[in-house]
Amino acid sequence: MARYARPVERLINELSRLPSIGPRSAQRIAFHIVRGRPEDAYALAEALREVKERIKPCRRCFNLTESEECEICTDPRRDASIICVVEDPYDIGPIERTAEYWGLYHVLGGALSPLDGMEPEDLRIAELLERVRREGTQEIILATNPNTTGEATAMFIAEELRDLPVKVTALASGLPVGGDLEYADEVTLGRAFAGRRAI
Amino acid sequence: MSSYIRAIRLVNFRNYRDAAVSLAPGLNVVVGDNAQGKTNLLESLAFTATGSSPRTPNDSEVVRWGAEFARTEMRVVAGGRERAVAVGYAPGQKKRLSVDGVRRDSLARYAAGEAGVRVVNFFPDDIRVVKGAPADRREFLDGILSSLRPAYARAAADYARAVQHRNQLLRRIRDGISSRRTLSTWDRRVVELGLQLLRGREAAIGPLGEMFSDALRALYGSQKAGMRYSHSVTPEAYAEALREAHESDIERGRTSVGPHRDDFTLLLGGVDLTTYGSQGQQRLATLALKFAAREYVREVTGEDPVLLMDDVMSELDERRREYVAGYFMESSQAVVTTTNREYFSPQVLKRARVVRVAGGSVIQEPDQKAG
Repeated sequence: MARYARPVERLINELSRLPSIGPRSAQRIAFHIVRGRPEDAYALAEALREVKERIKPCRRCFNLTESEECEICTDPRRDASIICVVEDPYDIGPIERTAEYWGLYHVLGGALSPLDGMEPEDLRIAELLERVRREGTQEIILATNPNTTGEATAMFIAEELRDLPVKVTALASGLPVGGDLEYADEVTLGRAFAGRRAI
Repeated sequence: MSSYIRAIRLVNFRNYRDAAVSLAPGLNVVVGDNAQGKTNLLESLAFTATGSSPRTPNDSEVVRWGAEFARTEMRVVAGGRERAVAVGYAPGQKKRLSVDGVRRDSLARYAAGEAGVRVVNFFPDDIRVVKGAPADRREFLDGILSSLRPAYARAAADYARAVQHRNQLLRRIRDGISSRRTLSTWDRRVVELGLQLLRGREAAIGPLGEMFSDALRALYGSQKAGMRYSHSVTPEAYAEALREAHESDIERGRTSVGPHRDDFTLLLGGVDLTTYGSQGQQRLATLALKFAAREYVREVTGEDPVLLMDDVMSELDERRREYVAGYFMESSQAVVTTTNREYFSPQVLKRARVVRVAGGSVIQEPDQKAG
């Protein structure tokens, strides 16, 4: 690989450490920044600094926030008796956009994964149990990802919650609405069959 | 009428720079000396029909030496309609699968029938299914089930992943890094997925065993043959057995029971062919397994799969060659390679499409009119 001036190399290295950016993309972005206006680069640097200085986890649900508690937790209109458990803060966005859910959230910070060394202690599971005890939660909705680690995490949490007086549910998996059956993938369709309901 | 492959074009595939072959329904005989490209041609048909090579998990092996990509294009006649399927592969990039010019993103779905034609292949090395390790037999069984049911393919992949997680957890517990808190969770996850595999395999093994028995009787003689699934654990005892194995599993760092440890036994006259079969019996049993796979696919889908048979005739005596040639002619399509065209009788050749292969090029022989 060709060698560039040290600051450019450094920028390429930093960029290529980001997820889904390979060496080639890193190089392209770096040269874009080198060529661009200084103000644009400083704005990016400032945005990076601001996000690290001002964003922290909500002390109640661990969603990202600028305050002690996030906007969802402090919204008096939300139903505090229901908690939807998600793996990451960015899982909240899609659920919020449904405009169908009016409870609170709890962000685990990942999923159980022995292969990645993720243990229950690395997730905010103890904090969830503590919340349920303290807040008298009525229902926990487990909305972890429908993959191996996500489903194991949901199973583990359901087990941990078993002795507490709280209803535990998990999201149904099934067909995308508005799609034709013809185009649904077989695995999703198979699950939808397994989870069929009386009508 | 079942579907068949009408033509294939190979670009930079193995030893082919650019070659086209047109095939007929019924028997197609590919004649050529050794190392001219007969097997590569069969491989390309399977590669295009399923999206992967049956000979190697490493796609870059199919790219011609010195070429940057390989591409195969196939014309498939299915349901009275012709469709164009193509597979392109350049090392380091995602494989490009298309049907009638439309990209297909999921290899699993493509493999489960999007090409419009299913294949059952026989390569001489497949004798390992009979002779080899349990893993070879599981791969054979899971391969058939995965090609018929995408949900099975998914469950098999998820199961393998869950077992990997559990194994890693066992090792972490052994080394004092993890507690046992989540072990029962991974047990449940593994059992849930493992049961899907067990149910799928159990449903298939009965009919497949009967088809194997019929096929081997026709090939070998009157002795009764069969197939018996051997569980490392039964579905009923699975959860309990996994729990009881905790201590020894932790010590070994491996999951000791479950469908990934199962096997099936092939029997001839009550004797285990894997351990006690002669080389000749094992060869015929391999062929019988492939014929059984064809019958099973036909029973489940209602469509006769295309048979791709590499150098099958040389291992057979004259009586069996005659029987097998008849079997191929009755199938909706069979592509069979041979170094010696005299393995087929003149009457059979008269009704077959003959293709000669030499040094990576193809010479199409004119069809003889059927007498």
